[in-house]
Amino acid sequence: MIADIGYFALLIAFVTAIYAAVAAWYGKSKDKMRWVESARNATIIILPLVVLSCALLVTSILRNDFSLEYVWRVSSIEMPTYLKFTSLWGGQAGSLLFWNLLLAIFTAVAMARKWHEQKELMPYALIVISMTQIFFLGLSAFVENPFTRLDVIPPNGNGLNPLLRHPGMIIHPPMLYLGFTGFIIPYTFAIAALMAGKLDDGWIRTTRRWTLVAWLFLSLGLILGGRWAYDVLGWGGYWGWDPVENASFMPWLAGTAFLHSVMIQEKRHMFKMWNMFLIILTYSLVIYGTFIVRSGVISSVHSFARSAIGPLFFAFIAIMFIFSAYWVNRRRDELASTNSLQSLLSREAAFLYNNFLILAILAVVFLFTNYPIVSELFTGEKGFVGPPVYEKALAPLFGLLVLLMGVAPLTMWYRSSVKRLGRAMRWPAIASTITVIVLFILNIRGWGALVGFWAATFATFLTLLEFWKGTRARMKRGESVWAAFSNLMARNRRRYGGYWIHMGVLIMAFGVIGVEVFQQETQLRLEKGGSLTLGRYEMVFNDINRFPGPDDLMITEATMDVYVDGRLVDTITPRTELYTRTGQPMTIPDARSTIAEDFYVLLVNWEPTSANSATFRVFLNPLINWVWGGGIIFVLGTLIAAWPDRKKQSVAARSRRVAIGAAD
Amino acid sequence: MADTTWTNDGKDILTETKSNRLKFIIGGVLLVAAIAYLVVNAMSGNTQLYKTVNEYYAEQGRLTDRDLRIAGVVVGDSIQFIEVDAQTTRLEFDVVDDLDNPEPKLHIVAINEPKPDLLQHKAQALIEGRADENGVFMVNPGGLLLKCPTRYEELDPADHPDGIPQQ
Repeated sequence: MIADIGYFALLIAFVTAIYAAVAAWYGKSKDKMRWVESARNATIIILPLVVLSCALLVTSILRNDFSLEYVWRVSSIEMPTYLKFTSLWGGQAGSLLFWNLLLAIFTAVAMARKWHEQKELMPYALIVISMTQIFFLGLSAFVENPFTRLDVIPPNGNGLNPLLRHPGMIIHPPMLYLGFTGFIIPYTFAIAALMAGKLDDGWIRTTRRWTLVAWLFLSLGLILGGRWAYDVLGWGGYWGWDPVENASFMPWLAGTAFLHSVMIQEKRHMFKMWNMFLIILTYSLVIYGTFIVRSGVISSVHSFARSAIGPLFFAFIAIMFIFSAYWVNRRRDELASTNSLQSLLSREAAFLYNNFLILAILAVVFLFTNYPIVSELFTGEKGFVGPPVYEKALAPLFGLLVLLMGVAPLTMWYRSSVKRLGRAMRWPAIASTITVIVLFILNIRGWGALVGFWAATFATFLTLLEFWKGTRARMKRGESVWAAFSNLMARNRRRYGGYWIHMGVLIMAFGVIGVEVFQQETQLRLEKGGSLTLGRYEMVFNDINRFPGPDDLMITEATMDVYVDGRLVDTITPRTELYTRTGQPMTIPDARSTIAEDFYVLLVNWEPTSANSATFRVFLNPLINWVWGGGIIFVLGTLIAAWPDRKKQSVAARSRRVAIGAAD
Repeated sequence: MADTTWTNDGKDILTETKSNRLKFIIGGVLLVAAIAYLVVNAMSGNTQLYKTVNEYYAEQGRLTDRDLRIAGVVVGDSIQFIEVDAQTTRLEFDVVDDLDNPEPKLHIVAINEPKPDLLQHKAQALIEGRADENGVFMVNPGGLLLKCPTRYEELDPADHPDGIPQQ
């Protein structure tokens, strides 16, 4: 009964989405605003319907209703309650429903909040967003229905895969989905602006914060996914250039280019066409990424099972792309820039270089991700490119991007002079060169790594100088250092939030170079009391025990003392966990973690028959924590940039109240 | 903020715009050429052929000693993790295309690779490495990938430990 109501709510939501699209189109074409308002209400009503559907699916999971195939696949009687909640996105059908929930939330909020602000765009926005909703609700209702019943009722379910029980993996999918669905809103308003012929930067201003928030969630999803891989998968890495990882990275890249490029349109009214292209590209990559993950068309280590939804996704991408291209073409004259670049050494040119570089990286990732399809098309044989190929091709492009990240903020709008730009860069260049010389003296080798460190150090000094210059200017007005610094952040959140984001990326860049170039690993079987040395670390194997854990877990845990230069610095406990009912093991690493490096240990093998010895695999990951630390700064920077301006907000609220009053 | 000049006198803007456009076109062409070079340079000799087990055996002669990415299903009974000596472990197992029709089998050998948690009967494996003349497939370092975490989606109800009782 509960499942039937859940499915019925899903069906009504699907029909309501169709109604919203038709009513918005009819209302606009006949100039009947009541129909458009009705369409708006319909998109808002979809939200409680999808909430009801999700709530009933979760209720079915909590009640262990294994008559539903989805519940049987992702849950079990023994599973803790919090995991039963997260099982909602633990499989294909549930996660699609969850996707629909997020899309419904974003849609309802956007339609409710922006109604008076962008009334001219709304009929078109309703049509566009309803098309996306029809597609995804249709998939949930007719192709990947989470309420499908089994013929016979099993006594228990599979339970959520143990690998998905890590906190990073519990939060990671919702973050990615929030990012993905979030980008649908700016796309919707962009196409609505095209259809309405209202091509000023109104749609950009309306969706600026949406874009930033979507980008924030996508970034969080990527970072958490990396952390999960590092903590759970036990290969000492965090990013493997797998097609599914790339599927999230590509829209992030396009969104990054868009976030930079819209600033030129706001300041200089240039690149309208380019911005349209970028947001359409971002949206297309969001849908394409979902297609890669869910269709199983490209072999990946962590895609969903091969599914029938592939061709449907493909058709939807094609329809939306053709639809978007049609409107861009129809408005191409109005999209032509009224201004043009006056100098190749200017802020707008720097943004453009940034865009070129990001799109170049995107093009390479896209080509390599799709290489199996491309190569089969041209040679008849499926090829594959692994991480070393990505790294070799992309390292120079990332290096240039890092350099540009430091230099671009020095440039001015319209024009900058080479001489003065050179003067501003002189000391940072000298300081970073000295840093690299010191690294060389400290026996850091490898020209690629040294060049990378130089670029990252140079950009870091330049960015820090920007903070210092701004703070100093305020201090000259009599403010204390802290007041000057915090006021600087508060008064120009977007700009300085952006610089914090740059700092986060640069710190991550140091981490990536450190771990990619200087990672060491070894594997050794140790007798109790035996030791292993890697770098400046020595590890002594003290003991190993097997004991039962919660639920059906059997835990085998080794105790290791870690010494640096003969001094005991830590005791770590790498272990394996065995879910006895399903026979699924989990290898849980442990690490001596410092800002300089992680001494990361895995318990590879231990047999109770030879209880005095065990095999360990050990990684020394230099600067790995800079990746996570940089990630935190990156997220904080995005929050600073996206934080609403209290003054502007109250003005907007006041004007909204006035508008409502006038309408009454 | 950088010390920069603001020049917006307008007299040469038209010609400058044209020359900028030309510079951008030249720059764009150079960028595309540079990217093409980076891609070709990175790929040359480093791409793998993607094959199933049956596809591999169909062209075994040609594919011997070539860098391959093999997709197959793990035969649970064949998994062996051997500690050769203190420094060396040897992980061996067979993969097939279809467990119901388990021939031919490709024998996989991974030296000093930890046994992945997901290496179990019926697991879908993606294995990077090379096959020698004897048909033994040696895994590249880090080249043993098990498909997951949503692998359970592919389970058949009857395969689960608890099964589905017949009514």
